[in-house]
Amino acid sequence: MRNGTAAKFRKDLIILLVLSVAYLALSWSVTNSYYQLILTLVPIWAAFGVSWNILSGYGGQLSFGHASFFGIGGYAVTLALAYWNLTPWLGIPFGMIVGGVAAVIIGTPTFRLRGHYFALSMLAYPLAILYFLQYFGFQEMSLAMHREAPAAYLEFSDPRFYTIVAVGLLIMAVLVCMLVENSRFGLALLAVRQNELAAEAAGIDSKTWKMRALIVSGMIAAAAGGLYACVQLVVTPDSVFGMLVSAQPVVLTLFGGVASLWGPVIGAAFLVPLSKFLDAYAGNVLPGIQGVVYGAAVIIIILAAPDGLYWTLRDRFFKKPAVLPIPVASKPPPVVTSSVSAGTPLMKVAGLSKSFGGLRAVSNVSFEIAEGEILGIIGPNGAGKTTLFNLLNGVLPANEGSATLAGESMLGKKVHQVCRMGVGRTFQVVRSFPRLPLIDNVIVGAYGAGLSDQDAADAAIHALHRTGLADIAGVEAGSLTNKQLRLMELARALAGRPRLLLLDETLAGLGREECDDILDVLKRLREEGMTIGIIEHTMHAMLRIADRFVVLDHGAVLASGPPRTVVEDRTVIEAYLGKKWLAKQDA
Amino acid sequence: MSLTPTIGRRTALAGAAALAGTRIARAQTPAEVKLAMLVPLSGPWARSGLLEQMGARMAVDDINNAGGIKALGGAKVKLLEFDAGESAEKAKDAAQRMVAQEPDLSGGFGCWLSTFTLAATEVTERAELPWLTLSYSDLITNRGFKYVFQCSPTADAQAKELVPIIMDLAQSAGGKRPTKVAIVGDNSASSVSFYKAIHEIVVPEQKLTLVTDEVFTPPLADATTIVQKLRSGKPDFVLMQSTNAGDDRMLVDKFYEFGLTAQKMAMIGGGGHWCQPELTKLTTKEHLEGVIVGLANWPGKAMQDVNKRFIERTKEPWFGHDSLFGYTHVMTYVAAIEHAKSADRHKVMESLHTMDVTDGPARFFPDGRIKFDEKGRRVGAKLCIVQWRDGVPVPVFPTNVATHAAVWPKA
Repeated sequence: MRNGTAAKFRKDLIILLVLSVAYLALSWSVTNSYYQLILTLVPIWAAFGVSWNILSGYGGQLSFGHASFFGIGGYAVTLALAYWNLTPWLGIPFGMIVGGVAAVIIGTPTFRLRGHYFALSMLAYPLAILYFLQYFGFQEMSLAMHREAPAAYLEFSDPRFYTIVAVGLLIMAVLVCMLVENSRFGLALLAVRQNELAAEAAGIDSKTWKMRALIVSGMIAAAAGGLYACVQLVVTPDSVFGMLVSAQPVVLTLFGGVASLWGPVIGAAFLVPLSKFLDAYAGNVLPGIQGVVYGAAVIIIILAAPDGLYWTLRDRFFKKPAVLPIPVASKPPPVVTSSVSAGTPLMKVAGLSKSFGGLRAVSNVSFEIAEGEILGIIGPNGAGKTTLFNLLNGVLPANEGSATLAGESMLGKKVHQVCRMGVGRTFQVVRSFPRLPLIDNVIVGAYGAGLSDQDAADAAIHALHRTGLADIAGVEAGSLTNKQLRLMELARALAGRPRLLLLDETLAGLGREECDDILDVLKRLREEGMTIGIIEHTMHAMLRIADRFVVLDHGAVLASGPPRTVVEDRTVIEAYLGKKWLAKQDA
Repeated sequence: MSLTPTIGRRTALAGAAALAGTRIARAQTPAEVKLAMLVPLSGPWARSGLLEQMGARMAVDDINNAGGIKALGGAKVKLLEFDAGESAEKAKDAAQRMVAQEPDLSGGFGCWLSTFTLAATEVTERAELPWLTLSYSDLITNRGFKYVFQCSPTADAQAKELVPIIMDLAQSAGGKRPTKVAIVGDNSASSVSFYKAIHEIVVPEQKLTLVTDEVFTPPLADATTIVQKLRSGKPDFVLMQSTNAGDDRMLVDKFYEFGLTAQKMAMIGGGGHWCQPELTKLTTKEHLEGVIVGLANWPGKAMQDVNKRFIERTKEPWFGHDSLFGYTHVMTYVAAIEHAKSADRHKVMESLHTMDVTDGPARFFPDGRIKFDEKGRRVGAKLCIVQWRDGVPVPVFPTNVATHAAVWPKA
């Protein structure tokens, strides 16, 4: 568990216990077996929603095919009972294992895709499995009735016991989700969801975390599917692998609140009884009307509360101003010791080139950054500055050349691996996690560097102090100003305790005074011994801060040296201002 | 304050006694006997459910107009209708609701589609509610259940029975015994078990050659390739195991377009949907002319009166498979209750198990007998064969229900 989340964890745990006890008390008083069935189905669908929420809500990997795992659980329990006479008490854990394995098999090829392509590919799996089951003759499987010792086979004549088991399942699912949410796991997922590239640049191995999320999610979904089969007594490919099954957790979670612990639970608590009551009462009067009313209800809620009921209600009634105290680190900042003494080159770039087809975006670029200096990389638009950074931190592979950090090659590594070598990076467009407090936005960077929970928290607090943001550490990132967001991103990079910072247009879009504030922070960092490479357009700001300039034009190094020399260089003036300007000056 | 609970308790006790009293009195001579019908009234199978509902409602009116159930002092029959919807899950939910809300049912029937019946009977069996069904799947009565009674021949039995009957019909109508057969159909549950029996048992036993074997995933998008294969295979007859009227139509339309009519190649459809009135609206009677259909029941000569009243009452063009079963289920319950002299569900179950009649509701089956074996399957359940003639399906087999002789293409 992460530091600072213990209070939230405890609060959620108490809510979970109170709700569970209240729910069980309510269900114990219900004797009508149909209402009891609804009370059983609510926690099962909620658990399925929770499982979807881990992958798609927190992780942002939209899955339209979660029925794969639900159905695998359902069929594993049913087939194990039919062929091995394995009691569902063991069949459900068995189904969870199968679900976890299926997650690896499904995830391995599918995570090569992103966004809509991922979502649509996920859709294909349950439909494919559905036809396989039909082909193998498992169209209609019933869970055999055990007249002897039914409870040993998860069969109860009193339907209230099914509700108890279902609530137990939901409690487990919610606990898993709480552990995810309050650990680096959840934060890594949130980071990946917001911006996979930025997360990678902060050192997070997104593919591994996504796969872990899919496995956890698949196992919970399989457990829900297994219990569902026991309650429904009959499984058909359509009832567990069908399109509507895949849609169910999506609808429940969107309704209740995406990426919130209680979202799927709220969704299930409202929508499952609603659909059942509509089936029972409206459907009997006018068959088919239930679907129309249900659809209309979902549309109205989603229009009125696009983020889901949980977030809308929270924003309206429970939004608290930040009252978090200024965090204090448990340890003094570690002394950054460098193996290279000041003045010696930290990063060496030699002959680096990158072509996109016929366009040489970066052409035979060589330069060095010395320990403790600020190197300004300048050049007109399209000069190849950002492409150069992308080559250096692993976003793009280079065609030729070398780049080393303290003697170790930076090329041929993944983004998060470069980050772990000690290279921090910020982006032209700030990527924040708006629903998280500032400090959590920064901690992501510390986790990326592989720090332990306590060290990560300390590193984040130090980074906030160094950037002057410590007094607003508890404020949600969504309410920060542009300057604060720029500093937040800088702090995130610092929290990983980098040896080298690569800043991509950190001053873009800021006013003069705001610029000054950030320049002050950068100067302070240099005094503390930080090495910085910075891309910038605004020449006057760069003149005030950079120790040396490297000027790029058309992908190649045009000039380099101390700022004053470089700005008086005729080729540089020509590249920036054109030949006309040069002629005018000469005259 | 202290008196209130005492009075409360006493009043409650008196009330309970009174309730118990009426309950006993009711059990002896119930004012009405409640039967439940759970069929698809919405979704893709709604039409079949509605046809079954029409038959059941007519049976209830017939009984009540004739003075109710005599053994129970003229108790009226009340039909409670539930929608099985479009999925096994909905059917099972509806069954749960039915047993929860109607604790004093004497019996029930449904749910037309085997998948739904399989799910719903898991609930009714646990509630110990007798259940009659027309569904074909053999799984329904393979689970050791005591309260489920299957009135149709099972799917595998139908497969084994259908082809020999067809071969005999062909020989008596066309003079020559067929040698080449083709299969065209979808990959749904009942069809798959049908093919298994055809491949493993029927083809070798009847010394047939399987010239074409085309299985598709419903709904059928295009039948052109199927027609091409049939034209090159030149079978004497083709077994068509589609499961809905839309695919049926697609097949006969495409066959007609390519000149493959039932006058050239015998076509045998399977299932009640092949005889639903919609089919004449979806396609034309020319395309259907001569198509032979094997199904679990069809009103024969003995039912001319019911047939006529049904058509008058519902404005449907004919009284068919689904409606007949609805009618027969209600009539079977009434006979069982008359015999048990009780509407208690357990006694009704025992009565159904011991029942062996050849009159009353047994007249509505082609084989004329109602007796259920240990599994709950109707002993000696026979197939009916009907044939489309001038836009109407007419029974051609067995002879006791047949109104017409089968027509077979001349070789």
